Amino acid sequence: MGDSRSFLDFSGQWVVVTGASSGLGRAIAVELARHGARVVLVGRNEGRLSETASQLGNADHRVLVLDLARHDAIAAEVIRLRQDVGPLYGMCHAAGIVETRPLATNTIGVVQAQLNVNLLAGLELARTVCRRDVMMSDGGSLLFVSSVYGRVGMPGQTGYCATKGAIASAVRAMAIELARRRIRVNCISPGLVLTEMTKQSLGVLSPEHVEKLKAAHPLGIGEPEDVARAAVFLLAPGTRWITGADLAVDGGFTAQ
Amino acid sequence: MNTHDALTWIAEVFEEPPGQITIETKREQILGWDSLGTLSLIAGLDERFDIHLSEKDIDGMQRVSDILDILRRNGKLEDA
Repeated sequence: MGDSRSFLDFSGQWVVVTGASSGLGRAIAVELARHGARVVLVGRNEGRLSETASQLGNADHRVLVLDLARHDAIAAEVIRLRQDVGPLYGMCHAAGIVETRPLATNTIGVVQAQLNVNLLAGLELARTVCRRDVMMSDGGSLLFVSSVYGRVGMPGQTGYCATKGAIASAVRAMAIELARRRIRVNCISPGLVLTEMTKQSLGVLSPEHVEKLKAAHPLGIGEPEDVARAAVFLLAPGTRWITGADLAVDGGFTAQ
Repeated sequence: MNTHDALTWIAEVFEEPPGQITIETKREQILGWDSLGTLSLIAGLDERFDIHLSEKDIDGMQRVSDILDILRRNGKLEDA
């Protein structure tokens, strides 16, 4: 970029953000809009998506109510979206579910439910967004939200850890495959950020355990905006030489 | 399947707009027909038509007409 625009300027390009009804997805969508992106807000709850939309200022956007566990619906919706708004620049898969379960009760069904949203929905979305007749012809950028728990273990999180580790591996494969089309693929691995989802999973732990977790982050607990800024950095058109990366955004948690 | 539908299907495999693919289109004219595109084509022929390609078939596919020939030889293409 040889001009005076910021390297974080999205110049009106369209980015699909899943999990946009709350938490990290909402924060990412808002931060993208602040940097000139047009965003498609994807989630299950129309009311909460509208709340996110109200935080986008004057940024052009679309709201797409979609249950990502319904994989067979994803492709058709993306194609319809492309027909509506034109070529897409990229996506951020921030939707995710967590179910804290000791291994003894971690049945296939429990793991599958997390896989369906955390990994498989993201892959299906990427498959469709990257179609040559959907994505911009000069390349784009995909971002997946993994987790520090894709790198380190945590009791009660076997399913969640498995899905987040799988995301990081899939990202590397996609990055290499799609580089020829100038499509970058990265993930971020957030540490403990207080969102509705993390409050829920912390709620089943003992207070002592929760305090230990908080204390394990050298820079303290994160805010959704901390992760959103990193997400925008990796998605931005100007960070064109970063692909296949897994950026820990965790206040130093995994550096120990 | 007739030729028009086959061309539409081939366009879909390579993610080209319908109408961009004709019988005369060469492999090098289709952006999506690289090595990975060939894998998509092989998978599509298998899943949609139950056609399994030999190495000779794969090496010989250099034009859209070659794909149509494969469909025809396997009884999947109705000639006009």
